[in-house]
Amino acid sequence: MQEATFLILTALADGSQHGYGIIGDVAEISGGRVRLRAGTLYTALDRLRLDGLIDVDREEAVEGRLRRYYRITPDGRGRLAAEAARLHANATAALTRLHPAGGVVT
Amino acid sequence: MSSQADQARLERGYRRLLACYPTSFRQQSGEEILAVLLDTAQEGQRRIGLAESADLIRGALRMRLRPPGRPPRTLRSAVKLMCLGAAVELATLITIVVTAASVRHDVLLRDSAHWPTVLAQLIIDAVAAPLGMALWLLVAWGLARGHDWARLVCAGMFCLLTGKLVVALADHATAYARADLIAGGTLWVLALAVLALVFSRPAARYFQPQPQARLSR
Repeated sequence: MQEATFLILTALADGSQHGYGIIGDVAEISGGRVRLRAGTLYTALDRLRLDGLIDVDREEAVEGRLRRYYRITPDGRGRLAAEAARLHANATAALTRLHPAGGVVT
Repeated sequence: MSSQADQARLERGYRRLLACYPTSFRQQSGEEILAVLLDTAQEGQRRIGLAESADLIRGALRMRLRPPGRPPRTLRSAVKLMCLGAAVELATLITIVVTAASVRHDVLLRDSAHWPTVLAQLIIDAVAAPLGMALWLLVAWGLARGHDWARLVCAGMFCLLTGKLVVALADHATAYARADLIAGGTLWVLALAVLALVFSRPAARYFQPQPQARLSR
């Protein structure tokens, strides 16, 4: 799973969000390291919808413009959980080898 | 210039870039993306930045090249092999350009009367390589989109490459024969593998007409 995909799913994990909200949330989650642009975000959202990992939650009109909220699906939760577990296992293995004396940073 | 005029100008610029996206996607998400673009724009911004333009163009290209549904693994492998075929054509073109002078030198040294024939072959190969590259990429796109014509073109390409390889095997006279043979042989193997993949049972199901399933975007 690409990092942008992982971060988008993470942003949606605790509730539905619109595109602008996802961009802000992804920046916050990644500590400002990943700043999604609109082209990248909507290409990823379209793919995630096709794969059944997210869905449209609702639509609103704000100042005459469409605002669409996205939510994560149960399949999306499953994929995110599996990917998070994989990354966690890798990180734990790396930290264990970096600090063999037991000084694992958690 | 007033801030309203700035925003109108910026919006026109964004709309021009969004026009690069497929119509169906634009109808579905165009206004939504525009709203996000305007929300994320800097205060007083009048022009679209280079990175933002590149991001939108890259997104449009991805959307246009992306298959409507998820193709089976066999077909995804076939598409990758087609892209590899395009890379081989590119490598062939580079080889021709880079080695042209040394080939000329060798041929003139051995048999100068043979040079016009070799030159003609080099020119044909140099013209055919970019055309071949475009064809491999076009067929890769067609396969990814589930177009049945792409499979037929694959079969045609395989026949063409087989014929070309047979001719190359029969021709040991030119100094360029060995390189031509290697490139031709590589492309033939790739085309054979692609042919086997695209006519496999899982791939065949993808090419069966399912307009509602694949085009409902």
